[in-house]
Amino acid sequence: MMKALIRLAWEALFLSEAPCVEMRESSNPALRGLGLIVLVAVAVALVGLAGTALEWATTPNMRDIQEAVLEGIQQMPWYQELQSTPEFRGRFQQQYKLWWRIFPRMFGAPDIASAALRIILLPLGLALTWFLYGLVAHLFARLLGGQGGLGQTLGCTALAVAPQLLNMATVFPYLVIGGVVGTWTLLCRYVALKTCHRLTWGRALAATLLPYVAFALLVSFFACLGSVATALIFGGGAQ
Amino acid sequence: MRELLQLAWDALLFKHEAYAQHVACADVLKRGLTLLVLVTLLAGVVSLIVNVVGDLRPMSAEAQRREAEEGIQEFTEYVDTMRQFFDVPPDFEEQMIAYMQAGMGIGFGIEALPTRLPKPVGRVLHDLGAFLSLPFRRLAGWIGYGIWVLLVVKLLGGRATASQMLGATTLYAVPHVLDILGFVPCLGGMLGLVAIVWGIAIYVKALAVANEFSIGRATIATVAPALVGGALALMGLLVLFILALVGSG
Repeated sequence: MMKALIRLAWEALFLSEAPCVEMRESSNPALRGLGLIVLVAVAVALVGLAGTALEWATTPNMRDIQEAVLEGIQQMPWYQELQSTPEFRGRFQQQYKLWWRIFPRMFGAPDIASAALRIILLPLGLALTWFLYGLVAHLFARLLGGQGGLGQTLGCTALAVAPQLLNMATVFPYLVIGGVVGTWTLLCRYVALKTCHRLTWGRALAATLLPYVAFALLVSFFACLGSVATALIFGGGAQ
Repeated sequence: MRELLQLAWDALLFKHEAYAQHVACADVLKRGLTLLVLVTLLAGVVSLIVNVVGDLRPMSAEAQRREAEEGIQEFTEYVDTMRQFFDVPPDFEEQMIAYMQAGMGIGFGIEALPTRLPKPVGRVLHDLGAFLSLPFRRLAGWIGYGIWVLLVVKLLGGRATASQMLGATTLYAVPHVLDILGFVPCLGGMLGLVAIVWGIAIYVKALAVANEFSIGRATIATVAPALVGGALALMGLLVLFILALVGSG
């Protein structure tokens, strides 16, 4: 079972239509798709954990780095100019500690706990994204004349998890994958929807992209709503 | 492997049959990607060896510090030259040197910190990671541009599937094997330029064969995304310029 799923993902990675046809014709494509996503996500997270552990073992302790950077900053002319100001030193130390909690993670400092947590969070995240995307894409595909069922759409779009296999390379520390996975996923989704719903290229492209547009609109809508609510709350408070 | 090498050679020579056979293969994208990855790794192998050898024979901290001090010295000489042409504030040089020395201190301070595994292991893993990132960097550029070309090709009536088109265009990477000499001053840069032009020509040929296009139509499909992107960037700059004018007015 696992071997068959990995073979499907491997073939889907090369944008072959055969695995989509196989998935579409299988008895329970949605469940198979979910199995594939969990399998790939757990494998990627485990491999990522190994890579992170190697990176952690070859990187100095973050607290020591923090101290070294602070010592360097204290040698800089701007710091020496400002340190005579009484409130500056206290506020700077506070801010510096806060930055240090945020920035190292943002810039990819190795964190074994986060990497271990990904074994749970990555399957959850990928499964949720797959389900939401599959649902909306199915709606658009049907509106555009698609012939596949919801289970078939979910099964076929699950194959778009295949580019995540590229992340297996992160077993090597300091390796940068970049944006290739996202673009590749888009292509896999296009092939999946085109094959599953037997759509022309134009309709398949529309069915692939419209869920992204819908999500972007939804996010913008809620962002605007949030801004208005914030303005009302704080604006009202000021009066 | 021999088959792949033959394909690479024929692609370099623009042999039509080789392109047609490659596109007709069921695993065209797999073959193409294998070639792209191999070529990119081969081109980066000299840099990897140089870096690993350099990292396994690290300079002493004193020598590194001396080299950095020389860099600062060069900077001060540059600032002195600039003084003839620009109005450089009197304490600019002093301040910059102080910042550079503080930065140097941070760098050397971190370098001196202990790690759980021996330092050379970390350095080699760093080099290996950078080396293995090369194919991903090339893949990101190729696929990022490729999807726009794919769109233009479809609009122009192209018949190739996504895997056929992308598999065919991977051949553009073959001339980049010349990047292996990238470390040679002057010659490396020139060969890099030759590889870029040669690669674009192969891209056009591959598109033409995969979609049964004329060379003219394939050229349009190849350059259209770049032209549209450039035009949009120019328009964006123009809008920013107008906004800045309006804002200052």
